[in-house]
Amino acid sequence: MLKKDLILKNPLRHLEYETEDILPEGGFGAILSRAGVGKTALLVQLALNNMLRNKNILHISLNEPVKKIGLWYESALRNIAAQHHIQEIHKLWEAILPHRFIMSFRVEGFSVPRLEERLTDLSEQGIFFPQMVLIDGLPFDENTDGCLKELKEFARAHALHVWFAVRTHRDDETGENGIPQQFSSVSDLFEVVVQLQPEGKQIHVKLLKGRVGVSDYRPLFLDPSTMLIKEAS
Amino acid sequence: MKYSIANVRNIGISAHIDSGKTTLTERILFYTKRIHAIHDVKGKDGIGATMDSMELEKERGITIASAATYCQWNDHQINIIDTPGHVDFTIEVERSLRVLDGAVLVLCAVGGVQSQSITVDQQMKRYNVPCIAFINKCDRSGANPFRVVGQLREKLGHNPVSMQIPIGLEADFEGVVDLISMQALYFDGPNGEDIRIEAVPEALLAEAVKYREKMIDAASMFCDELMEAALENAVTEKLLLSALRKGVLSRRITPVFMGSAYKNKGVQPLLDAVTRLLPCPSEVSNEALDMENDENRTILSGNPEDPLVALAFKLEDGTYGQLTYVRVYQGELAKGQSVINVRTGNKVKIGRLVRMHASQMEDIESIPAGYIGALFGIDCASGDTFTSPGIHLTMTSMYVPKPVISLAIAPKDHKAEINMSKALNRFSKEDPTFKVHASEETGETIISGMGELHLDVYVERMRREYKAEVTTGQPRVAYRETITRKAEFDYTHRKQTGGAGQYGRIGGYIEPVIDEDFVFENKVTGGAIPTQYIPACEKGFRNCLAKGPKLKFPITGIKVVINDGASHSVDSSDMAFQAAARGAFLEALAKAGPVILEPIMKVVVETPTEFQGAVMGTLNQRRGIILGTQDEGPMCTIEAQSPLAEMFGYATVLRSSTQGKAQFTMEFQTYKQVPQSIAEELVKKASEKRVA
Repeated sequence: MLKKDLILKNPLRHLEYETEDILPEGGFGAILSRAGVGKTALLVQLALNNMLRNKNILHISLNEPVKKIGLWYESALRNIAAQHHIQEIHKLWEAILPHRFIMSFRVEGFSVPRLEERLTDLSEQGIFFPQMVLIDGLPFDENTDGCLKELKEFARAHALHVWFAVRTHRDDETGENGIPQQFSSVSDLFEVVVQLQPEGKQIHVKLLKGRVGVSDYRPLFLDPSTMLIKEAS
Repeated sequence: MKYSIANVRNIGISAHIDSGKTTLTERILFYTKRIHAIHDVKGKDGIGATMDSMELEKERGITIASAATYCQWNDHQINIIDTPGHVDFTIEVERSLRVLDGAVLVLCAVGGVQSQSITVDQQMKRYNVPCIAFINKCDRSGANPFRVVGQLREKLGHNPVSMQIPIGLEADFEGVVDLISMQALYFDGPNGEDIRIEAVPEALLAEAVKYREKMIDAASMFCDELMEAALENAVTEKLLLSALRKGVLSRRITPVFMGSAYKNKGVQPLLDAVTRLLPCPSEVSNEALDMENDENRTILSGNPEDPLVALAFKLEDGTYGQLTYVRVYQGELAKGQSVINVRTGNKVKIGRLVRMHASQMEDIESIPAGYIGALFGIDCASGDTFTSPGIHLTMTSMYVPKPVISLAIAPKDHKAEINMSKALNRFSKEDPTFKVHASEETGETIISGMGELHLDVYVERMRREYKAEVTTGQPRVAYRETITRKAEFDYTHRKQTGGAGQYGRIGGYIEPVIDEDFVFENKVTGGAIPTQYIPACEKGFRNCLAKGPKLKFPITGIKVVINDGASHSVDSSDMAFQAAARGAFLEALAKAGPVILEPIMKVVVETPTEFQGAVMGTLNQRRGIILGTQDEGPMCTIEAQSPLAEMFGYATVLRSSTQGKAQFTMEFQTYKQVPQSIAEELVKKASEKRVA
């Protein structure tokens, strides 16, 4: 009941379809923004939204320790619960926690074969079968193309939905559709691209690629005080 | 005591097990001339390091009790508290940290920041202890001190500043370059006691300059004068040290020193740093609780002229009876003085005062504010506060977790029985997390504590120190019972068996409550239950909590609200209402979805990457939820939550599945509901046991 309420109240449903994910199986989504704007916060909310729907999330972080990522989740859930006046948050947390697995790598230690090895460890022993993968901290530079292609194949083979947090820079040039040049070389691999754009006191969640032009799409914002996503007021 | 308070340092040496802190302490005592020969932990000479005074510690090569000792260095008096390195003895570590003003965090140059270092560091943060770091074992193969500096930043969130760089590493480790004086230090002589100062080797000059600049950059954040001096290239040693000290005192900088205690390298510069960078007692503010003012926090003056406030932080059995280690925070504790033990209210007279050096001692006349010493002949518990008469202050009560595991023990013979009781009495006074009680049903003696090893060590200590041979039963997990939903009751207790009858009716409901064991609320209006019987109702409910219906474990997290009832002018009594409450409780409990809760432990395993899968398998088999894995090059850390009941003997399983290369720490995290199938099994076992 509690879970259902939260799913229904979650403004993220506007970003995703009501019943299915915005990403197809094997699909890539990217959240673009400059440092410190809220990429991880949005990733975590995407994850929580799916965990509430009993989907298994593998959160891969490059350089951040497991404990820190755990704190992101706890604080996001606490904020969501406070927003909806939910009391028994610990029960909810216990119920959804088994749907999350965090892997932390050093940037230089991360590779697709290594990820595959780790995932085989998990799945062979029946420990964890991810349905959605979040990758935070992967540097998008000239060396990333190969890694992304391998990941795409991997995602297709395992029917995974993969979201990336992509750090952009203030002086990046942007193309016609608003996608930064730095990202454009790999943008073909992505089904959905979302950009976090600070506008005055608000952070606008702009859809650059994906469900653009859908009639029921309503603009979304990140609330800078709680880093929670909300609809335009 | 001839020293001024500015020249006193109360420091702790905290670290992960096996990172060499006992060896380091041993070297410190040697260089400060407190001992005249060096013995190593697990030494071949059979003597063992001086700080490990307990037999068991010598055998296992670990430090269990924190012995306090003192030494002198460059006109400074340093009190050192050696702290235990295993998480099962955390209360010892926390208690030590409470009395420290500063700490040396010892890290292994090979192993780096490990899970226990993280726990110890969190404790230091909690007590706001400024610290400096010492990266030990730079002579070992695989040593990489700069990697450890990186981990200090990433894993512990420190702002580490290298104060030295190593001259050579692993087998070629020769000495260090001191970045403040820009000199190379070599440690000659059979025990490294002769320091040879030379110019920085040409090959290291560029690196030394680079790290010195980084150090000046970091330090100049705390001193404008230094920033200006840096711009003008006129940085003086004094200015630099004073800025660094400011950073250390506010816990915003962690200076990092390097060396190898075992190879006698780098210890003297560390001692210099303790005197130059760590705070003296008057620079640290200490708080006490004012018992006359709602336990409000009061800052202690630290003035030796003011009334006494002292904390007993450690007890030991000495040759002459109980030895109590005390830290004086305010006033002066003198021989012959009468003081009050705040907990008991008893007046006690101070007999003999001593200054400790591991297991040897020296008589002294008084212990002024800021100093650590020990006293004899005082009967008290660990954590007691002593004050001058008329002062109602108590030192901040330390957080004491409830035990999560228990074990039945029985003496083998009559002699053992007497010794066992002596030992248990001592241990429960020494360690607030160690509890003893007699089982009402079986009459067995039950000891409880924070983990398997915690209890193991006490059983072992009973055998060795008290010659009490005991047999132990299977460890038992401290389950709890609770309810999951609201349920109403309306119960009438009526008894008429000749003579005066018994009558009482109670109506109301019970419901789950978070963060409280038991809440009782009286909402009876109009005198349905006369006021004089309300306490009897509460008592009746409270008595039901001791044993739950499922496993006979305590019921917690329950709120009882009574809102209706009836009484009889003749037949109602306290007893009748207590019986009514019992009946009402049992009636409601059955409807309130009673469940069993079990302690869940936070388990952190550090393993070479190749065993990651195997380790995750072992945790998964134990109903563990794996929260995440962290790859750090050749090693990886696995964080999980697992029920304590499944973790018995895990150390052996982990050793065998990783060729002994992994290690783990475990600490209590929370209570969680036991899954239905397991709960049924537990109830079945418990009832079989009752029948038997």
